[in-house]
Amino acid sequence: MSQKKILLVDDEQALTRMMRLNLEQTGRYEVREENRGANAVRAAREFMPDLIFLDVMMPDMGGDEVAEQLKEDPTLKHIRYAFLTAIITKRETGTGAAEISGETFLAKPVKREELLAVVEELLGD
Amino acid sequence: MTEDAAKHEGERTPSILMVDDIPANLRILYESLKGRDYRLLIANSGAQALEVAKRASPDLILLDIMMPDMDGFEVCRRLKADPETKDSAVIFLSALDDAADKIRGLELGAVDYVSKPFNPDEVAARVDTHCKILLLERELANRNRQLELVRDRILNSMAEGVVGVDADARVRFVNPAAERILGADAQHLLGRRLEDWEPEQLKRAITRALAERREIVVDGLSLPRAGREHLPADLRVAPVCASDRLEGAVVVLRDLSDRRRVEAKLDRTSDELRQSHRELKEAQMQLIQAAKLESVGRLAAGVAHEVKNPLAIVQLGLDYLAQVVELDGTSIEVVNDMQHAISRADTVVRGLVDFSRERDLDLKPYSMNRILADSLQLVRYELVQRQIAVETALSETVPSRMYDPDKMQQVFLNLFMNAMHAMDRVGTLTVATETIVVAQDDLGTHAKQVGFLPGDRLIRVRVEDTGPGIQPQDLERLFDPYFTTKRQGEGSGLGLSVTRNIVTLHGGSIDLENRPGGGARAVLLFRPAQDSAKERDEPKEDPAGR
Repeated sequence: MSQKKILLVDDEQALTRMMRLNLEQTGRYEVREENRGANAVRAAREFMPDLIFLDVMMPDMGGDEVAEQLKEDPTLKHIRYAFLTAIITKRETGTGAAEISGETFLAKPVKREELLAVVEELLGD
Repeated sequence: MTEDAAKHEGERTPSILMVDDIPANLRILYESLKGRDYRLLIANSGAQALEVAKRASPDLILLDIMMPDMDGFEVCRRLKADPETKDSAVIFLSALDDAADKIRGLELGAVDYVSKPFNPDEVAARVDTHCKILLLERELANRNRQLELVRDRILNSMAEGVVGVDADARVRFVNPAAERILGADAQHLLGRRLEDWEPEQLKRAITRALAERREIVVDGLSLPRAGREHLPADLRVAPVCASDRLEGAVVVLRDLSDRRRVEAKLDRTSDELRQSHRELKEAQMQLIQAAKLESVGRLAAGVAHEVKNPLAIVQLGLDYLAQVVELDGTSIEVVNDMQHAISRADTVVRGLVDFSRERDLDLKPYSMNRILADSLQLVRYELVQRQIAVETALSETVPSRMYDPDKMQQVFLNLFMNAMHAMDRVGTLTVATETIVVAQDDLGTHAKQVGFLPGDRLIRVRVEDTGPGIQPQDLERLFDPYFTTKRQGEGSGLGLSVTRNIVTLHGGSIDLENRPGGGARAVLLFRPAQDSAKERDEPKEDPAGR
């Protein structure tokens, strides 16, 4: 079984690194990090991931804008994505991910098991 | 020549009475003066002269000295003694060219002397001269009267009281304002002597002005008035000197009560202004407070972002390490403590976000004792570090009810952290629960606001420390957002306002007080059972507003 590919987009490099380490540690995922929102779409085209995590608040381009561009691109619009956010509290997302107006949100700080559960849920159809 | 003919010539025509017992002399006088602009009267005896003088008030009397029955001197004496005739000027006529007689005549009040035999031109010239003098004197008197009228009008209309005193400080004049200011009428005041003046300052001012011949000014005098309150006044005493002679002094009194009234009104106005200013400032403070609360939202977002990212890194880093490293018993405890620390930090940040948003409670049936035990667990390490002992008195009979356990945990974390900061090191943290029927004394400000009444059966939670206690003026302000007594960097000032918010959302109250034996105490009150169904059905409703 081939590894699923996950693109992590967050301006916090240490965070994408920790996420990558945890995901890679399972041996099930190939992970790439992108720390600039503006580069996210290009990185997606190159890497063609199965799932993208998008930080909502990034200095150059926010996750919501990246998501818009993904949806507008015919070659990328099929890619599943989830938002990472520091503003929405755990209560709003519950444990794990929350769907708010059709989008999936993951509240920081996210635990390893929550992260893995969300990834499995989004990729395992 | 008739009196009637001259009558309508007007008052300005001088009238002259000629008195002689010898008709020839009268004729000469008459011839001398006729044809001039005089009204001429004749008398041939002293008695007749007095009678005519009384009736006609002549301006000038040419009076012969040597007459039978009554001589000219006697006539003159009587004329001068009678107020009705004393103003007529007398010129004596006599053959006696005697200096003693002339002097006697002048002493009796005569103005001049004409010797016999008459020179008609001389008679006419003297009469003319004296009539001119008379006219001038009359005009002068008229002008004086007018000046006096003007002066009186001025003095009467003056707001200042004017009192004229003579050199002996006796009152010779008062204007109506002075009567009012001194509280006595002119009749009573005129002739009043210096010794009668009150107060002492006024007496002294007049004495000095007269003695030193210079103006004396006294400000803010308090004048006693019979049966009425004292009158505030300014005083000016100016000496009046004619040539070098001291005539007296003018005392000017200025009533200050009007000015005092105006000043009082000004004071009131400025008081009102100050009051509006205060109100404006309060309104401004409220606006600032509102702005602060709004900024809490922005702050919360910023802080959440800044803190939650590092927390996420630590969380995931820890999780990763726990996966890849073989953990023994102690390591597991370390990891658990770190997990707790992360969740505590997360709770604090979440509190900030919660504070800035209207949030519904996630209510579930829960035990207060368990919330307290969990909360204590979270600060266990800190308590040990600070050598703070914990005493718990948790009543087993306190009923469970609906709580949001996370939020209530945040409440107690806040209270415990505050207690620890207050005690710093070494002390006792007491946590107690009980069910009580509250008395009036048990209800603090917030409890009353929430609507708890004496006689209510309530769950009471007490969190007590052995720190220095709270300044009385800070007891309520501590619940204001951003109010903090902690040093810079020790607290955001949001803890207690968030705490009260959460407690209020639970329908409870929280008040701070000082313990009689020292230290502070937080008292929380809750109703044993809450209509939790309602809470769920109407999540948008603000429970605090009920």
